[in-house]
Amino acid sequence: MDDCKGIEYNGNIIGADKDIREIIKKSDIMPLFQSAAKTGISYIALEDPEGEVLYQCGDVSEFPSSSSLKKPLYLEGEIAAQIVMMWSDQKDDGFRDIIDLIFLSAEMVLKNKFRALLAIDTHKTVVNQSYEELLDTNRKLKQSENKYRELADSLEKTVQQRTEELKRAHAKILHQEKIVSVGQLAAGIAHEINNPLGFILSNINTFNQYVSRMKEMLVFYRGALEKGPDDNDRKRAEEKWKRHRLDFIFRDIDDLIKESLEGAERVKKIVSDIKGFSHIDEAYEVETDINKELDRTLNVLTHEIPDDAEIIKNYHSLPAFVCNPSDICQAFFNIILNALQTGMKGLKLIITTRRMTDHILISFSDNGPGVPEDTRGRIFEPFFTTKEVGKGTGMGLNVTYEVITSYGGTIEVESETGKGATFTILLPLTGEEVDV
Amino acid sequence: MIEYDEFDNKMILKLVYYGPALSGKTTNLLQLHDILEKQGRGDLTVLDTKNDRTIFFDLLPFFITAPSGLKIKLKVFTVPGQVRHDATRKAVLQRADGVAFIADSQLPEETNNFESFKNLEDNLRFVGLDIETLPLVVQFNKRDLKNIAGESDIRSVWGPTGIPVFLASALEGWGLLETFGRLVELTYEHTDRRYHLKEKHGLDKEMFVQRLTKRADETVRP
Repeated sequence: MDDCKGIEYNGNIIGADKDIREIIKKSDIMPLFQSAAKTGISYIALEDPEGEVLYQCGDVSEFPSSSSLKKPLYLEGEIAAQIVMMWSDQKDDGFRDIIDLIFLSAEMVLKNKFRALLAIDTHKTVVNQSYEELLDTNRKLKQSENKYRELADSLEKTVQQRTEELKRAHAKILHQEKIVSVGQLAAGIAHEINNPLGFILSNINTFNQYVSRMKEMLVFYRGALEKGPDDNDRKRAEEKWKRHRLDFIFRDIDDLIKESLEGAERVKKIVSDIKGFSHIDEAYEVETDINKELDRTLNVLTHEIPDDAEIIKNYHSLPAFVCNPSDICQAFFNIILNALQTGMKGLKLIITTRRMTDHILISFSDNGPGVPEDTRGRIFEPFFTTKEVGKGTGMGLNVTYEVITSYGGTIEVESETGKGATFTILLPLTGEEVDV
Repeated sequence: MIEYDEFDNKMILKLVYYGPALSGKTTNLLQLHDILEKQGRGDLTVLDTKNDRTIFFDLLPFFITAPSGLKIKLKVFTVPGQVRHDATRKAVLQRADGVAFIADSQLPEETNNFESFKNLEDNLRFVGLDIETLPLVVQFNKRDLKNIAGESDIRSVWGPTGIPVFLASALEGWGLLETFGRLVELTYEHTDRRYHLKEKHGLDKEMFVQRLTKRADETVRP
């Protein structure tokens, strides 16, 4: 119908009229007809309202002289079919009850079949409808799934992008951390360099004064020689020599030069230590002597080591470890600096290196205040610091962690509050290392 | 409309008694079955009830032959009111020509009435029927009980909607014939607008309503 725009289910509309052929099948009515035949009904048939015979039992022509009955079967208040029966005239009046009973039975069959059909139809419609709704739901789900898949795809791209950004940012932070540690060193290093430079400068100034006196002396001698020196010249020369304290100058010059050379050597060593520590010339992986790198690191930290501190090097010979020495120095630097900065009187730091079966073990044991239990799990996290705001970057041990794990190594801390801390690093060996 | 067959000169209309569970939809039909003239209608088919609760539906068929010879069948259905039988409600509601919403007057049933009516609106939309134009009447049943919504409250709520509201006690047998009569009237008007029952088939509203609501004993009125 045109006023129906909703969902249709196979044209199966509840309440649609049913043809008698749909309602009663042959197998539904035949048992009744056969029973009727046994009681003496010679002919029984079910006809549609127009009189067409649908199902029958017996033969009309068999008994030409017979009684007959044609009675409509009602459904929904309308004639749905009719029952036709014929029987012999010889049957008595009591046979009429049997006829009525058979008719009532036929009526019952029709009603029950009709009810069953309605129930089945409703059930089918509901099932079809649920199915259609499920299909619809499924279609909608697919649509939204596609939508989410697209979202997920673009999300993946975004995540990749952000990961790249984070990687770059992290690399930048690592680089900055190096600069920061160099910065932390700068003041001490400046002092270290300033000292020898100060006395070298002062020595050169003194030397300059000495030279001008010696020049004056030499000029005097040359003049006297050209005209031929007399006693007066000799007397003046002696006076000058004494006034300019040249005997002292000659002795002092040796000390000046010796001191200045030593100072210059010290500056040279400091610069070389820094250069060695920073590995400016080696930005790639090389076979590295871990013991040597530990020394380099300690060297640049010299001025950070308090006078009363004791550093015990318990080194054992190690195979070369292939790594970027600059990174590995940085890793050691951060651990050693942490120990030095505890502000502990009488600090004792034991650095042990040892070759294990398939690892290099490096441990740093101090007698400092230790790492409290509640922060122990977090010290390798980036930006985690117990120092005052602005004092620590919180990146130091994270850098160490990143460097060590990047070589497949592990780092662990054992500590008891007030009883110091031990950082143990294990670096894996490939089995192809050569001893250095 | 279930079917309109011009060739066979046959029309089948569908009325649906909708409403929350246990509001008295089946009782309405049982009473109509008892009260109305047997001539021109069939018996009530109560389809699969379990513990007095309708699972599928009940069906009360009527038929009229218009002066033109057009055979009109009017089939009145109930739907199962329980929430879980929503699929059956949708199925029965398909191609309905009119709906009687049977509400339960008892105060604690207010929410159920509201939800069932909302469900009717949703399902009408689902089967493509327009609640604005579909013949619709509301019956507040169980007026014989205590603790029921006041008539003035009901009128003030339903009055503005323009939907005819009837108070009834299906159990005591009053108010339900008025509900049915008004629904039949509206359904005639709605069908006549499209199929010209009077003009083409000589069937006017009075004849239609009178035939469908004729009491078995016309002389007895409550």
